Parts: sequence; C-alpha cells; structure tokens
Amino acid sequence: MRIKHFVMAETGWPECANTLKGVILDLCGVLYDSGEGDGVAIPGSIEAVKKLKESDLKLRFCTNETQAAREKFVAKLQRLGFDISVNEVFPPAPAAVGVLRERGLRPHLLVHDGLLSEFDAVDKTNPNCVIIGDAAEKFSYQNLNEAFRVLISQEKPVLLSLGQGRYYKETDGLKLDVGVYMKALEYACDVKAEVIGKPSPTFFQSVLNDMGVQPHEALMIGDDLVNDVGGAQHCGMKGVQVRTGKYRLAIQRIHNTNSSNSILGQIWVKFIMNH
Amino acid sequence: MLASNMAGRRALKAVLIDLSGTLHIEDTAVPGAQDALNRLRQASVAVKFEEEIFTSLSAARSLLERKQHRPLLLVEDSALEDFTGIDTSEPNAVVVGLAPDHFNYQTLNRAFRMILNGAPLIAIHKARYYKRKDGLALGPGPFVTGLEYATDCKATVVGKPEKTFFTQALSDLGCSPSEAVMIGDDARDDVGGAQNAGMLGILVKTGKYRDGDETKIDPQPHLTCNSFPDAVEHILQNLL
Repeated sequence: MRIKHFVMAETGWPECANTLKGVILDLCGVLYDSGEGDGVAIPGSIEAVKKLKESDLKLRFCTNETQAAREKFVAKLQRLGFDISVNEVFPPAPAAVGVLRERGLRPHLLVHDGLLSEFDAVDKTNPNCVIIGDAAEKFSYQNLNEAFRVLISQEKPVLLSLGQGRYYKETDGLKLDVGVYMKALEYACDVKAEVIGKPSPTFFQSVLNDMGVQPHEALMIGDDLVNDVGGAQHCGMKGVQVRTGKYRLAIQRIHNTNSSNSILGQIWVKFIMNH
Repeated sequence: MLASNMAGRRALKAVLIDLSGTLHIEDTAVPGAQDALNRLRQASVAVKFEEEIFTSLSAARSLLERKQHRPLLLVEDSALEDFTGIDTSEPNAVVVGLAPDHFNYQTLNRAFRMILNGAPLIAIHKARYYKRKDGLALGPGPFVTGLEYATDCKATVVGKPEKTFFTQALSDLGCSPSEAVMIGDDARDDVGGAQNAGMLGILVKTGKYRDGDETKIDPQPHLTCNSFPDAVEHILQNLL
C-alpha cells in the first residue's frame, strides 16, 4: 500500500525538482523530537541528512530554536548522530543581535537562560525594547510583567519576537511556544511585534543568500504549516510538510486518525533525490 | 449595592462604578472618593459597583451550571467561594479571571492542552492590565488572548467589555442603558464597553489611566475627568 507521508500544497512538482538547488530543513519535529536530555532522532532522519549532504544540493538548517545558544544545540544534534555544523544552522538570536545593532536598540531579554550568551556583547542597560524568545519555565507572571512594564513605559514600544509559534511537541506532550506570549504582550500594550525567525521573509532570504540560490530553486521541509511551509511559499520557495512533530498530534486531534510516523525521513529524501 | 430613592422621572436612573483604580488602588482609597460616593447616594439614583467579585463571577458560574461544565478555575483564591458547590473533578472547561498566582508556564500549559482537546475557554473579563501600588500589572486579557492564539479558538467573555454584561447589570436594576452611566478607569473595557451597550461612559484619570487613553475609543468618552469626585460632581450638576 502506498501511503502519502508528505503534503504537497501545489502542483508543478516535476519542474521544481528539475531546478532544485537548495534544501532548507527545520530541525525540531523534522529531524528529532525534543524532550528529556537530547530528545530522540526521528527514525530515518539521520540517514536522510547524510544522503542530502552527499548530493549536489545545498543544505541549510533553519530553526526557531531559541532555548539554547547555537553551539549548544548543534552539539546536541551531533550527539544524536546528525552530520551538521554550526555555520549551516540559522536560528533567530544571531539575526536579532544584528537588528539591535542596526537600530541602536538596548533589549530587555525574556529568553531562556540557555540563550543569554548569544546576547553577551549587547548593551542591555536602560532597555528601550523587549526581546522575547521561547523562555519556557521562565514564562512566569513576574517575568512577563517585567517585560510588560518595559514596553508600556515606552512612547513607542518595540517588541522583537524570536518566532511566533503557537506550540511545539516535547516527548511529554505539547508545550506553549513564544508566539502565545508575544500575543499576550501585543494585546497588553497595543503593539505589533516584529517577528525575527520563521516565517519572516527577511529571515528566509538571509538563508537563501547564504546558499546563493533563488527562492524558486529552494525547498523548505518542516512540520509547521504556517511558519515553515507557509513562510517558505510566501517567499517563492516550495514547501513540504512532514507528518511528524507537531503535525501528527494536531491531525490526530482533528481527524482522529492514526497517522504513521515511521521512516518519514527516508521518504522525503527519496522524493527530493528523484529530481 | 443599591441606594434608595430611585426616582422614576429622572433621565438618569443608575450609576455603575468600577472599583479597582476608580474608587481605590489596592487598600488605598482614591482621595475624596468616599465623600463623593456619599453625595451620590443622597441623590435620586441607583448606585451599583461593577467588579468581578459581584457580577462577572456569578455570570461565569451560571454559564458553567447551564452547560454543566466542570471547570479548571484560574481565579484568585478570594473568588473561589463564588464557585462553591461546582464540580471541579476531571475538569472539561477553563475559566480565566485575574489570577497572577496561576499565570505560570505549567498551569497555562495544562489549560492549553485542555482547550486543544475541546474544553471551552471562558474569560471572566479581558482587562489588559490593572493598577497596583508598585505599578501597572498584567490582567487576564493578555493570557486569554495568548490561549486563544495557541488553540485557534475564541473565548467566551462573560464580563467587561461584553455588551450582555452591562445589559444584565442594568436589567437587575430595572433600567435601560440610556438611563445609566458607567464610571471607570479603563477606557476600552469600562467606558467603551458601556457606551457600546448604549450607556454614557465617564473615564477617570486614576488607576490604570494613561495619557491619551480617551482617544483609544470611538466615540470618545462622554466625559474624561481627573478622578471619581469630579465624575460625581458632573453627574450631580448635569445629568440629574
């Protein structure tokens, strides 16, 4: 029996496959599921990355991971068995540091402890903006209130959000993501956050620039319909949604089906390799 | 609370008053508020205080009873007694009020998972923030909004600024919206909500008020004044 393991939102795939030069992969939910310790690799995905690397396709990893500094979570992926290096990975924090420098902003940080080192070199005295990331357990009332007070005291509040995800999956279940707290602060302060990270077009474009490929020559694979697939398609790239990570639980909830999570990695690699 | 001597011939029959930020901030009264309240009570007008303790909470309770929901109650301990007798075992609904102690990551995750699995989200009210002695502090509105975003659902709001909240309060007093005025420190939820329900709204510049708040609603408040005593003076001079 042939089961469709990926979702194709558009037709015209043969042409896409012919011109394909670069692939961008989301990490969490595509390559691995996060959780206790390092989490677990999704079956088949280690081999799938290896095959992509052996091909003539350019490969980058584009993540909204904001719980740990880049070096830390790349090391984690390496421990899980992935062939991946720091300069291939694009998370929001380094992009945010660039924005701060460009605009002379001094941030109040509401981010995970593991991410703080990314902002070591940034002036944080007398803050005139708030940066919010996936702070998880640090999303206490007290901490959110402190960020709120910084914003409400500004004439024109500036809120930079490292992603806008609704939730993600850990091995013990679904967890609220940064977007929820971004929306809370937006509502409290009548401000619109500037999202740094997926699905921001500037964020995707910086990855495409690094690969030296045009949007129509690139394909994004993710488990998030809005931030990965929608964001990529909005930039003119192709988007593939995998039925692992957050997709699976959501679809089970809606259709009460038992979507398979087996060897998805091998299947999407076969699909791309047939170009 | 009801003052006596409702006079049928008056144009204005009822004054609804927000408490926190309008009459007091935590345990401190707004200067002159007590005197002003006494003067208002001596006039021929019904006075009713609008705070979740009295009305939004009971509205939430009757909704729960009607739908036979078993709620996860994210409300302050002092509000729990309003839900005495309601079955909270194996909860299948989420009720969010002003509850800083409950707005932590773990509890919100629990609420989120319940809503994602189909539990309705009920908001006591959606205030953005409120005034504490040490400054402004987040109200339930931001957390309700966050949960709505996470689950792609819409909360049922039983309190301000919902129109039914105001009309219910007035029908309890036996008067129509055109015969009533609301005094509060929240431009959108107190004043805008009341005016949307057909009442007059008076915005006071105490509590959570910040410069320019009166321009955040359309139409603008019937009156914006320094504090509760000025609002009472205006009512006594011009509306009775």
